[in-house]
Amino acid sequence: MAYAYLFKYIIIGDTGVGKSCLLLQFTDKRFQPVHDLTIGVEFGARMITIDGKQIKLQIWDTAGQEAFRSITRSYYRGAAGALLVYDITRRETFNHLTTWLEDARQHSNSNMVIMLIGNKSDLESRREVKKEEGEAFAREHGLVFMETSAKTAANVEEAFINTAKEIYEKIQEGVFDINNEANGIKIGPQHSTAGAGGAGGAGAGGAPPGGCC
Amino acid sequence: MFRSRSWFGGGWGRPKNPHSLERLKYLHNILCKNTTVSESNRGILVESLRCIAEILIWGDQNDSSVFDFFLEKNMLSYFLRIMRQKCGGSSYVCVQLLQTLNILFENIRNETSLYYLLSNNHVNSIIVHKFDVSDEEVMAYYISFLKTLSLKLNNHTIHFFYNEHTKDFPLYTEAIKFFNHPETMVRIAVRTLTLNVYRVQDASMLRFIRDRTAAPYFSNLVWFIGKHILELNACVRNDADHQSQQKLDDLVAEHLDHLHYINDILCLNIPDLNDVLTEHLLHKLLIPLYIYSLTSESNKRPVTSSPYNRDHLQSIEVITRNLEAILTGKTTDTPSRINYPLQRIESDDETKPSVSCVVSLFLLSQVFLIITHGPIVHALAWIILQADLSVFEDGVSKILDMYVSNAKSSVKLEFSKPQLSLEKALENTSCPDRDYTTPEYSGAKAFGYDTDQSSCDLDPELVSTSLPSTSHISESSSIAHDSTEDLVTQIQQVKADSSMTLSKANMPDSPLPDSGIESSSSKVSERNNITDEEKQKLLGKKPGTNTERAAIVEKVLEKETKNIETRPFLKTIFDSLDCSENDYKALFALCLLYALINNKGVNPELLDTLLYSELDDGAKPNTLSSKVNASEDETGSTTSQERSSNDGNDKSESFNALLISKLMAIAVLSCKPASKVRLVTCELSVRLLRTCMQGSKGAVSSRHISSVDNLRTRSAALARNFYKCDDIFLDMFEDEYCEMSKRPINVEWLCMDAAILLPPTRTPMSGIAFEKRLPSGEMERARRAIRTFFLIRELYLKLTGKPETQLPLANPAPFVQVADILDLNDSDLISCDIIQKDGTWQHRFLAVDNIQVILVEPDKQRLGWGVAKLVGSLQDLEIQGDKDDPRCLHLTIHKPRVGASAALPRTMLLRAKFKFDDHIRSMAAKQRLTKGRTKSRQKKMQQIGRLLEVSGVAAPAPAARHRPLFARPALSSVRKHSGIDGDDMERRIRRPSGHVLKDGIVVYRERTTSRESSISRTSSAHTSREGSPRARSEDIPLEDIRRNPGIAAAVPSTSSIGRVQQTIPSTSQHPNLKSTSSEETSFISKEPRPKRKGIVETI
Repeated sequence: MAYAYLFKYIIIGDTGVGKSCLLLQFTDKRFQPVHDLTIGVEFGARMITIDGKQIKLQIWDTAGQEAFRSITRSYYRGAAGALLVYDITRRETFNHLTTWLEDARQHSNSNMVIMLIGNKSDLESRREVKKEEGEAFAREHGLVFMETSAKTAANVEEAFINTAKEIYEKIQEGVFDINNEANGIKIGPQHSTAGAGGAGGAGAGGAPPGGCC
Repeated sequence: MFRSRSWFGGGWGRPKNPHSLERLKYLHNILCKNTTVSESNRGILVESLRCIAEILIWGDQNDSSVFDFFLEKNMLSYFLRIMRQKCGGSSYVCVQLLQTLNILFENIRNETSLYYLLSNNHVNSIIVHKFDVSDEEVMAYYISFLKTLSLKLNNHTIHFFYNEHTKDFPLYTEAIKFFNHPETMVRIAVRTLTLNVYRVQDASMLRFIRDRTAAPYFSNLVWFIGKHILELNACVRNDADHQSQQKLDDLVAEHLDHLHYINDILCLNIPDLNDVLTEHLLHKLLIPLYIYSLTSESNKRPVTSSPYNRDHLQSIEVITRNLEAILTGKTTDTPSRINYPLQRIESDDETKPSVSCVVSLFLLSQVFLIITHGPIVHALAWIILQADLSVFEDGVSKILDMYVSNAKSSVKLEFSKPQLSLEKALENTSCPDRDYTTPEYSGAKAFGYDTDQSSCDLDPELVSTSLPSTSHISESSSIAHDSTEDLVTQIQQVKADSSMTLSKANMPDSPLPDSGIESSSSKVSERNNITDEEKQKLLGKKPGTNTERAAIVEKVLEKETKNIETRPFLKTIFDSLDCSENDYKALFALCLLYALINNKGVNPELLDTLLYSELDDGAKPNTLSSKVNASEDETGSTTSQERSSNDGNDKSESFNALLISKLMAIAVLSCKPASKVRLVTCELSVRLLRTCMQGSKGAVSSRHISSVDNLRTRSAALARNFYKCDDIFLDMFEDEYCEMSKRPINVEWLCMDAAILLPPTRTPMSGIAFEKRLPSGEMERARRAIRTFFLIRELYLKLTGKPETQLPLANPAPFVQVADILDLNDSDLISCDIIQKDGTWQHRFLAVDNIQVILVEPDKQRLGWGVAKLVGSLQDLEIQGDKDDPRCLHLTIHKPRVGASAALPRTMLLRAKFKFDDHIRSMAAKQRLTKGRTKSRQKKMQQIGRLLEVSGVAAPAPAARHRPLFARPALSSVRKHSGIDGDDMERRIRRPSGHVLKDGIVVYRERTTSRESSISRTSSAHTSREGSPRARSEDIPLEDIRRNPGIAAAVPSTSSIGRVQQTIPSTSQHPNLKSTSSEETSFISKEPRPKRKGIVETI
């Protein structure tokens, strides 16, 4: 599948905040609002379009590997973007953000774009962390902030795509050394031409191509 | 990525509810109808696979019949069938298939379902399926699949993946083939998987891993790491201009990743695995590449004298290199080459991979910082600290054998490519009769592979072609022994036997106590210049005079300097500490020493080599040496008798004095104005000095304390050069202190920074932090001087055990706090309105204390009293007039620096416009605030002056008299002061730095009230009065400093001058230091510099 750039993302945050569900929701749109189903995955890829350019996002969940220091530190370094996720219904996941952020800042390359995500925004009745708190934390640490729901898919697209936009802008500004693949950015073989066919094809918000029926 | 969203609108008589058994049956039907993947049906297949995953998870959580159906119909076999077809777009289908499996294994909660899924080996068949791994997408999904499975491993599930009978573990063996995949994320996944496997701790499985895969995997891993190192080395060598810093960053981070990975494995504490890993790491990487590279640069120096002259330091390196060449040489059958050692070395260099000394010091530091596994770090530490030239005779392998219980001689001591690629090696280990062999997977041919042997020794032909030097180390060492008799005899004379014996004494746990490094030749004991009897005698009587003591120190130093010639690696490190040209290498040598000393895995006894001071300890324990003697007798050494007489008194060869002198040299250099020592080097050497001076006993000798005190005086003298009364000095002083206490050096982080691998630079435009480069410009030189002073002062206090009483700069108490109620009767108050940016408006009265600006509100209960609403520091106050309205002032108020917060950066409290009743009041307020600010800063400057022992700033005089709070001079006597502040000042500071110094802007303003001062003080006070005739009368009211009596007592400047003079004799062991020291002392003790005399207050 041809693309202009490939961005590698990681998703970090406490267990149970819905990282893998976010991932699956974004790459597969698997959640249907009506279904009560918790389902996630550790890896996924999807094509989006920014500025008329096909950009492939590869998202790696780091769950379950926290026991090994070598693994977490290498993940950080290999990514161009990170989604730092907490659960708005669990205060402690918000309290741990500082630790996550410290880790990320220490191990990642300085240009990594970090987006703060307050997940499970559909569970308004059980909310423990106010939206303003998330906003304040993001402002304080220079992050982009968004509340999402992996279940209703609210803001999920935006979270991933806005992060990609920021990375893309940084590339345009020449901040990222795109020839260095260790940054989590890879240049594709081509530029533009909306890709049809092949795995991983749904453009950002683009009409789904028919195919099977 | 799965596109067929229109599915739900389609026909096909599909059941309405997407989550139901019926729906799964329907999907099963689709799979049955579409057994062959084609262009036309792949869309529907992908969508079906996508839905199957969803239904199965739904079923797992809600309806068990769904899973039963899936298993009953054996639907995984359909997956396999689809996978095995090669057709257009197969990768498209494969990707969805793998993702479906990922979702399945990731989300399944019901254990029974999981067991059923794994039970029929379909999953293993999928694992060994040869996917098109050249497709980036397939590769990513495939490796995620393997990783997801590995996260499901436990003592129960392991048996589905590892077959004990067939000795087969495809999940592991397939994954590690990608250990060096170009894609970072793939490599990380492989590492994760291996760690997940190891931690299952299933004995049988681990045995399989050790016997069948450990040697090939670890040898390839080690080779892969080594190749990275060579790349890193090339990057450093070719980049003197900091061009490819990002690449270097990545390579350094990569190396750290590897070390952390290895450490993670070692920390799982699997003895069998650790042995193999340790052996490969030491034999194939750490010793041949890292350690040997320490000495690799020395041969670039021209050799001027006979190579056999043992007194010549270069010649020993030549011998070292030569021996090394023999031991690792490609052809071992030409003894004649011994006669041409230099040629041999040259030709050897071309083939033998090595890295620069800087890189190897850096890498070894990282090793010691990260890895704590005893056998590895202790062996390395031993080689670095203790190994003498015999290492090149007998080979390090002999020593290492002791550390690796199952040592196989098969792992050669050499950095070389593994003879078999990992894939090949693994093929040989896999079982030929795999019961689920797939068409693509043809199993492995029987290779007659002996499981007990490392794969490295498999094929002699491969061995001989792999790399130039492959001869077995024991062979070559024997040849060396036979053919180089002359040479050996030469070396023997250099050898200090005590170090040989210690090699054993320091390895008490060794399983092979007598197989050490003594087997090769007889040793001729040649004692050091200073015999033990002599030394004992010298130590025995109390040194009466300083010269006598200095003589001993010098003797010991001389001895150590001599002895270190026999320790090639330690010598390299010590030589690297020389900062006379720059501190490039020194920083790494310091890092290594620091990391080595602080590593938990290194036997503390071994560290005596660095920390044990022969000088300060008269009575030596004899237990060790007697043990050593006993073992020597057993070996039947011919010279044991002769030696034991000496050994009786000799605990060990310590290089403590030499190390301290080297570290002192760095510190002394840091105290020179134009020094090439970076702050980070200074800080690290100071830190090490402390450790070394405290030694293994923890007690610091007076000799060390006096030399550090001397050092402190030097650093104060350096900082004094920048001591001025301009605003910036005080701010820098406090900021530097704050920086230092906030961020003490973290060596681990330091060694993560690739920037230090490039030659030291000066320009801040390199993006390198100030501490890690040389100062650029006068400002930074001042900062450096201040910081150096802090570091050395801290060392002095720590060594002497004195508490810090003067830093952070204290403000005289008491402080007014917010909400305090103050008696303001008869105080000068100025009424004002405070208008903030957002338009909010408050009415307050402005009062000025000695160090504080206070905004008060009248107390409603008592007339004449007020409540403090805001308290800010005068020192940091920013005052600006208003262009448009003469009644207004713009003030920026910061939090007062009180107590502990004095070490924190200042925080702003308020920035607002202050509107006064009329322009006269505004002017008065401005003058009062400006004056107060200057005064409060001057007080701090006085404190600094005392710290730096600026002549004329003697011990503080007792406050002349106590005055009521807020009593002020009459308005009329407040002198206009704006000239020195604001723009004018800033302009001066921005001028080229050199001028700032010479201009002597308001150097220091003398207290005029205290009369009991030294001559120099009187003179400066006099000048001060001349400069500003009115000064005296004005100063009195503001002189109310309630001093901390502790400050007065702590450093009376006269006594410290005396101390300086006292210590001069003791520094005579550094002849080169002597001259500078006396020069600087004279500066202190004599008249102050003319520059300092010119104390002029500008008005």
